[in-house]
Amino acid sequence: MNIRFMAAALAAASMLGSITPAFADTELKIFVSSQHQPDVWRKVLDKYEAANPGVKVAIETGGNTSEAQAQYLNTVMSAKDPNLDILMLDVIRPAQYAAAGWTSSFEGKDMSVYLPAYVEANTVDGKIVALPAFADAMFLYYRKDLLDKYGIAPPKTWEELAAATKKIAEGEKNPELQGLSFQGKAIEGAVCTFLLPYWSQGKNLVENGKLTFDHDAAVTALKLWKDFVDTGVAKKNIAEVATDDTRKEFQAGSAAFAVNWSYAWTHFQGAESVVAGKVGVTRLPALGGGEQASCLGGWEWGVSAYSTHQEEAKKLVEYLTSEDVSVFMAANGSLLPTYAAAYKNSEVLKAVPWFADALQVVETAKSRPVTPRYNEVSEVIRTTVNAVLAGVTTPEDGASQIEARLKRILR
Amino acid sequence: MTNTSTLIAARPADRGPPAWTRWLDLGDRALAVVLLAPAAILLALIIVYPVLRLGYTSFFSLSLTSGLPGEFVGLENYSLMLEDPVFWETTWNTVLITLITVPGALLAGLALALLANLPFGVQWPVRLSLLIPWALPLSFAGLIFAWFFHSEYGVVNDVLNRMGFEGIIWFNSPNWAFAAICLTIIWKTSSFMALIILAGLQTIPRSLYEAADVDGAGRIRQFFEITLPLLKPSIVVALIFRTITALQTFDIPYMMTGGGPGTSTATLAMYIHQNTVSFLDLGYGSALAVVMFALSMCVTAVYLRAIRTKE
Repeated sequence: MNIRFMAAALAAASMLGSITPAFADTELKIFVSSQHQPDVWRKVLDKYEAANPGVKVAIETGGNTSEAQAQYLNTVMSAKDPNLDILMLDVIRPAQYAAAGWTSSFEGKDMSVYLPAYVEANTVDGKIVALPAFADAMFLYYRKDLLDKYGIAPPKTWEELAAATKKIAEGEKNPELQGLSFQGKAIEGAVCTFLLPYWSQGKNLVENGKLTFDHDAAVTALKLWKDFVDTGVAKKNIAEVATDDTRKEFQAGSAAFAVNWSYAWTHFQGAESVVAGKVGVTRLPALGGGEQASCLGGWEWGVSAYSTHQEEAKKLVEYLTSEDVSVFMAANGSLLPTYAAAYKNSEVLKAVPWFADALQVVETAKSRPVTPRYNEVSEVIRTTVNAVLAGVTTPEDGASQIEARLKRILR
Repeated sequence: MTNTSTLIAARPADRGPPAWTRWLDLGDRALAVVLLAPAAILLALIIVYPVLRLGYTSFFSLSLTSGLPGEFVGLENYSLMLEDPVFWETTWNTVLITLITVPGALLAGLALALLANLPFGVQWPVRLSLLIPWALPLSFAGLIFAWFFHSEYGVVNDVLNRMGFEGIIWFNSPNWAFAAICLTIIWKTSSFMALIILAGLQTIPRSLYEAADVDGAGRIRQFFEITLPLLKPSIVVALIFRTITALQTFDIPYMMTGGGPGTSTATLAMYIHQNTVSFLDLGYGSALAVVMFALSMCVTAVYLRAIRTKE
């Protein structure tokens, strides 16, 4: 090859190389869980890009469940991959991320603006691991039309719920209509399935990092669900049902009651829903004599410790967790706000009127155990719930297994 | 070789070969080393090093969720394993899957290969239908069969209902779930067995069967006296591959049941994946992986020994 030509090309290339960085945008890559409105988050990011010339933000999504996303992020982060700058994390993960050192902490951030539950969830050993993206909790969805038809008030206890489903089933005579749909598959939702009636008895699983397992309360909790299967309140194959299956079944009109997160509401009111306009939502029932308990959900924004754009990424997360964005996501994406005042915002209430009652639920919802080894805790509970519902294990043996295995993990 | 020798012959006798061609004069042994080196180095990098590293890690308590640096603990991970009921359950499930699906796939594969070897006028549809299950990614097969066996929407229960039987909630019972998984694995892997056996079938000379016909041997006798003995090498090769992949069974149960109900259909490979990818307990996960590696090595050694004694 002609040497003079090569030299000229090299010189040109090096000139280009030295010029381009001055014009280049900072490219941030942000991981958004695919079930939480990435297209609405995109609108928020577009606004941010317009206000901050020189910053471009690309969304990455992957996996359709919290577990699948956690596995993907575990692989990326344990490889110290700098590709992702900002990560959306399930509320159960900050402790693990703090222990592994995968996120950069937000020092000096005033957390008092957020709902207290999320201050607690994101603060590990005095360090702010992530900032809250949106709140969530489990709710009881019910068919308003069916309850009105049979003159039933929304149930306050699980016993009332069972009686209501019996009455509806006798009246409707529709074998396709289930009483209650909840999560029995061995997925994250099944952890809450176990904890709802367990908490309702006034018991906690972990206090101050120590296991406070109450065997009798656990047996009662597991027995509640197993009895629901045996008496036909729930269907026989409930052990196959995951969170989104519950959503689909209720949306198709084949369940009178459903336990689900807040995201289901938008789907129930959507064009594909046969129950649009017929859905009520309320607090989850209590176990007779106990308190009404819900499971705290919600997702957080963390900045990857391996990101090469720390400052820009933190600035963007500050924006994403601002009150304005929280209100925007509530009104446009039906994601529960992390600011108490946003629940009274007129724009939000116009779009999702039931959020007015949701604040109380979020404020009283309980957190799943906070531990870096949460994945193991979760696995123990959800596989046991699944085994009990499938009839492989009795509630008594199930409770003993959970206790023995949790003791090993949380020793 | 012929090219180089003619080149050398054509060169004027007074001038030796240029210095840079000296390597051509290496002895056979040295040449072999040079030629094998790239493959050996590649294998060392992608197989030997990771395996040694795995063994090394298995002696450490290394969990990313602990926030602590790795600590040498000797054989502690292995002693934990012996007391871990889930390790024993998943290992037993893996052995059971191997014992059921390897012979199952062999029989099904042999039948398919004999079928494909029949003198049909048009052979490509048969061969193509043999190739498709083999070419399908394992996780796809798992997803597809998970739907087939779904208690409400699945085609299997629909057929059962039409035949007058009550549908089964397949994934609600450890035994039915296990049966569904084994059927899927046999369906998925028998075509691989069939492809190897078919290749073996085509090397058997037709003249042997003609001679047997003349001698008055029937079809069944011909199969046991000619076909099966001559197929033995192909069958052993197919069995080695199938057994090793059976010991590493992951995708199909992962997609179909996720190990459920409870942990009754989880395999050792799934347990390794869970410990390393979900729990981030790299030390314990490595120790489990070492056990699986040792298991695979043992099985291979048994097969290799079986072939050698045959010769």
